[in-house]
Amino acid sequence: MKDRDTVWVDEKAGTVSRRAFIDDDVHRVEIDKIFLRSWGFLCHETEIENAGDFVVRRLGNAEVIVTRDEKGDIVAVLNSCRHRGAQLCRSASGNSRRFVCPYHGWTYERSGKLITTTFDQHLPAGLDLSQWGLPRAPRVESHKGLIFGCWREDVGSLSDYIGEFSWYLDPFLARTPSGMEVLAPPHRWRTRCNWKVGALNFVGDAQHVLTTHSGPLTLDPVRAARAGFATAAENSFQVATDQGHGCTLTYLAPGLPQDAYQTHPADLEPLYTTVAPGQRDMLKNLRVIVGTIFPNLSFIETQVGPAQKAVIFRQWTPISGTEMEVLSWVFAEREASSDYKDAVLKKGIHNFGAAGVFEQDDVELWTSATRASDNPIAAQYPYSFHTALPYMQAAEQDSNWPGRVYRPADTEVAQLEFMRQWNRLMQAEA
Amino acid sequence: MSIEPGARTVETLLYIELQRFLYREAKLLDRRHYQDWLTLLTDDVSYRVRIRSIRDGGVADTDIAVVDDGPAELRKRVEQINTPRLSRAENPPSLTRRLVTNIEAFYQDNPDDILVESSILTFRTRGNVPEGSFYAGKRHDLVKRSGDQFKIARRDVRLDQSVLFDGALSLLL
Repeated sequence: MKDRDTVWVDEKAGTVSRRAFIDDDVHRVEIDKIFLRSWGFLCHETEIENAGDFVVRRLGNAEVIVTRDEKGDIVAVLNSCRHRGAQLCRSASGNSRRFVCPYHGWTYERSGKLITTTFDQHLPAGLDLSQWGLPRAPRVESHKGLIFGCWREDVGSLSDYIGEFSWYLDPFLARTPSGMEVLAPPHRWRTRCNWKVGALNFVGDAQHVLTTHSGPLTLDPVRAARAGFATAAENSFQVATDQGHGCTLTYLAPGLPQDAYQTHPADLEPLYTTVAPGQRDMLKNLRVIVGTIFPNLSFIETQVGPAQKAVIFRQWTPISGTEMEVLSWVFAEREASSDYKDAVLKKGIHNFGAAGVFEQDDVELWTSATRASDNPIAAQYPYSFHTALPYMQAAEQDSNWPGRVYRPADTEVAQLEFMRQWNRLMQAEA
Repeated sequence: MSIEPGARTVETLLYIELQRFLYREAKLLDRRHYQDWLTLLTDDVSYRVRIRSIRDGGVADTDIAVVDDGPAELRKRVEQINTPRLSRAENPPSLTRRLVTNIEAFYQDNPDDILVESSILTFRTRGNVPEGSFYAGKRHDLVKRSGDQFKIARRDVRLDQSVLFDGALSLLL
C-alpha cells in the first residue's frame, strides 16, 4: 500500500491500525491483493444439484454465475454480457440450459462459450467469436462439497490451500458417507462494518460471548445449563495454520449431567465413518467450534437442542471499507431425518442468520464500532489485540492437532494470526 | 396459507373489529408492551418471517424463512429484546412506527377461524443514527375468535426484500 508510514499490523505491540477496518483505499487494495488472487468461496455442491441449476455469487467482487457446464464441470462465468455489459441473470438463482442476454440476445452456453450474437450476418469477416465468450474463472475446485474459484490460473490447488486445516474443517462438511447438504438458500443481509470484523469474530473471539450474547446464553436452557464457557476446560484451544485459516474449539466442562455429553445425534453418530478416529474424538463433548477459512468464509457448529447440532457457514463479502454483505447457510447431514433437518433449520436460524438472536447483537456492536471509528481522530488509535501477545510465541506442537495450537481458548491469538496473514498478502508486491 | 377462490369475506362489523385488533396490536409493539402483546397470541402460536429468493428460468420465487419460531422460541426472542441487560440490538430500543393497511379478512372452514391479510410497513430508527430503515411486507394471520376476543394462532410475514439492507432483524413485525 502507498501509505508506508502506517503500521497496519504491529505484531510486537499487539495492535492493528483502525484504518484497516474503515478505509476504502484499503478495501481497493484488498480486492486486488487478496480477493482476486486467493481461492474464494462460491457455493456448496448441493445448491446446484440438477442440470442447469445456477446461483449468482461474487468472486473477487465480480458477479459470477456458478453452474455446471455442458460437460458437467462446475464453472464460474462473469455475469456480464461481452456486448454491452448487461447481466445475463438478474436473479439470485435459477435453472437454465443456456444464458441469453435480455438486451440484444447474445447467447452463451453455460460454459460461457458464445453461440451467437443473433446478428452474426453483420459481423466482420475473420472475427473470432471464441474470443468473445463470458470470462471464466480459470480455476474452480471442490473441497468436500464446498466449491471455490480463483481468477488466477497459477494458484496452487484448493486442497493445498486448505492444507492441514482440513482436519478441523472436514468433520463439518463430510463426516457421513453422503456428506452435508444445504438446508435452504442463504440468508443475505448488509451490515455497515468491514468484512474482517466478522472473519475475526469467527476465528476466535471467545471474549465477546458472555458480554455480547448474555441474552441467548441466559435464556436458552440448553446453554444456561452449561454456564461458564468452558474455555478453561482442559481441551479448549485455538488453532492457526500457515495459510491464515484458524478456529476455536471449546469443550464441555466435566461434572455436567450425563445427557449433556450426548452432543451429536445418537442415530447419526454411527455414520461418522468418513472421518478419522481422531476427528470423531474431536466431535465428542464439543460445545462449539467457530472458524474462518482465509479470507472470508467462516463456520460454526453449535448446539441447538438436545443432541441437535446446526452447522452454519457464512461468507463476509466486502462491499466497501465500511460495509459487507453476509450470506449464511445452515447445513445438516444428508442422512438425517426430515424432522431433524426441520428442527435444525428452525433453531439454527433462530440463533444465527438474518434475524438470529445471536446475530442481532453482533450486528449492533459491529456497526457501532464502525460508526465511532470512521473519523480522523479515532483513525489514529489502533485496535488492541494485546491478549494475543503473551501467547503468540507459545504455540504448541501437538501431534494430535495439526497447525499451531494455542491454549487457553479465550485469548486473541487466532485473531492476530489472521491479521498477520492479511498483512503478508497486503504488503506483497504486485 | 392461500386464499381459495370464492373465499367468503367477513361482514363489515367483524372486519372493523379485526382492523381495531390489528391496530391495537401494532400500538402494543410500537410502545414495546411485549408482555401484553404475547397475550394476543395463542399458546401454540407459530411466527414466521420470510425473505425472497429471486429465481429465474421459469421457477417461482422461493421464500426463505429468517424467523420460524414456535411459542417457546418466540417467547425467548421477545424476552431478549424486552430485557435491557440481555439485548444490545434493542437497548436502547429502536423507535418504530408500524403502518398496518390493506386489510382483508376471510372466513375459514371453522367459523371461529379467520384468515386476515394485511400489509405492514414498519419504519425504524436506532439511537442517534440519522437514518431510518423500512420493512415492508404482506402478513397472513390465522386469527381465532373466542367470543369477542381475538388471538393470533399463526403469523406469516413475507418481506418484500431478498437482501436485508440494514443489518439483522431484531423487530417483531
